[in-house]
Amino acid sequence: MIEIINPGLQSIIVDNGRYGFSDIGVPASPALDGFAYKALNYLTGHQNPSPVIEAIGPMFSLVFHKDMTFAITGAWVEGILDDRPFTSWQSIRVKKGSVIKIKRVNSGFRYYLGFSGLMDIEKIMGSYTTNMECHFGGYEGRPLKKGDIIRFRDIKDTVEKSIDRDAIPNMTPPHVLRVIDGPEKDFFREDSVGIFFGATYKVSTKSNRIGIRFSGPTVEFKEGVEKSIISEGILPGTIQVPGDGMPLILLHERTVGGYARLGVIARIDQDMLAHLKPGDDLVFQRVSVEEAEKIWIERMKKIKNLLKT
Amino acid sequence: MEYQRYGECGIRIIFGKTIDPEVNSQVINYYGYLKAKDIKGVIEIVPSFNTCLIVFDNTEIEYQSLLQYLKGLEIEATEPVDRETHIHDIPVRYGGEYGPDMESVSSYTGLSEKEIIQIHTSTVYTVYTIGFIPGFPYLGALDKRLFVPRLATPRTSVPAGSVGLAQLQTGIYTFESPGGWQVIGRTDMRLFDHTKPPYSILKTGDRVRFIPL
Repeated sequence: MIEIINPGLQSIIVDNGRYGFSDIGVPASPALDGFAYKALNYLTGHQNPSPVIEAIGPMFSLVFHKDMTFAITGAWVEGILDDRPFTSWQSIRVKKGSVIKIKRVNSGFRYYLGFSGLMDIEKIMGSYTTNMECHFGGYEGRPLKKGDIIRFRDIKDTVEKSIDRDAIPNMTPPHVLRVIDGPEKDFFREDSVGIFFGATYKVSTKSNRIGIRFSGPTVEFKEGVEKSIISEGILPGTIQVPGDGMPLILLHERTVGGYARLGVIARIDQDMLAHLKPGDDLVFQRVSVEEAEKIWIERMKKIKNLLKT
Repeated sequence: MEYQRYGECGIRIIFGKTIDPEVNSQVINYYGYLKAKDIKGVIEIVPSFNTCLIVFDNTEIEYQSLLQYLKGLEIEATEPVDRETHIHDIPVRYGGEYGPDMESVSSYTGLSEKEIIQIHTSTVYTVYTIGFIPGFPYLGALDKRLFVPRLATPRTSVPAGSVGLAQLQTGIYTFESPGGWQVIGRTDMRLFDHTKPPYSILKTGDRVRFIPL
């Protein structure tokens, strides 16, 4: 088992998501960086998607009460294991009594901690992930606190592995996000959409796991156009524009929405949404759905090869 | 019916452009048909007022083949069916501490609290869609006399069980959440329970009646 000494700014238990319940309004709430999540399962010897900790900020610390293997993926961290430094994207064997502490997050925002055992927590509606708004899943439906103890089943003896540096996306700003036209793209003035695609936006402190807000030029609605739509199903990564014209990116916590949808972040760039932190610069670049899909499918093939066990 | 690709992994199926019980009924029939098909590569089917969103995994099924498949099913999928409709009675305490916006609804509509309750409880509503939080039903059609806009400044927290109005809809907050609907009452009935199937008491297409306490 492990014990949380310091949960950092916020840490929650996540997995690859809670799917199949959008029709009753239940969102997927997955790990926001899908590649980091998959790589972590690989590094810690899990064939099946297993629960991990998603954390932000420095100071995160825990103690191991059992021998096991752990790894961190996602953001590049400067960590201390007892008295030796370690970093992300490699698995490390630890002894009972070892303590890890995150000193600094150097690039990226969210990081993921995985272990070579299966966390002994309950699956809710098919998933281990935390629904923070409704307080279910994960660790008692809430973020981790000092003193929380996580027990494990089947701790395996896992060899130390690492991920090739070339395969790890660059998480430093400015972030360039590719955008596919959304269903209501024609609600907006073309000159204004042109500005949106050229401008630099700044990520706002009001961002959270539900959505990313930013500041920069507003997007203007055409004259006489309705500023909202009849609420309907929405995809993660959708760029919504409320009546005030300031776009925002929706993540994975909403199943329906009623704002006009200017675009959708291409899947190839959706993992990067996990790493947008307040103050980061952000640029949007238009891409066709066909091009975006081609890049995504190639990337999925590469990841499959990379993480072959 | 229109088909529109949405992002890489979504297909919007559009049944109409307005909030209309007939259109919604087509959506619900279609959704029921498709859900039972259990199509490989389809991850979510989200029925709403006038559209159905299909979310698929494009590494498992190609967009074009899914689209052709869906078009091939169209005639069969849209045949009217006799659905078993369940009427749920929801007990509500109106006004006072339970309905902080009752006064503002009253002054906006020009109706007394008694009239508002009488009108709100005399319709059997249809669940047009469920979201934005788990189990939250968007109910219609609301009597036109109860039309009110959303709050100009949404509340940061609305208690679970709150019954609200927004334009021509009424709905129930299944969880404490931020929200901009005008709240006229509250129910103690728990509409969502993550511990046991079917999790949400209400399904899209169900019927709902409010009972004043």
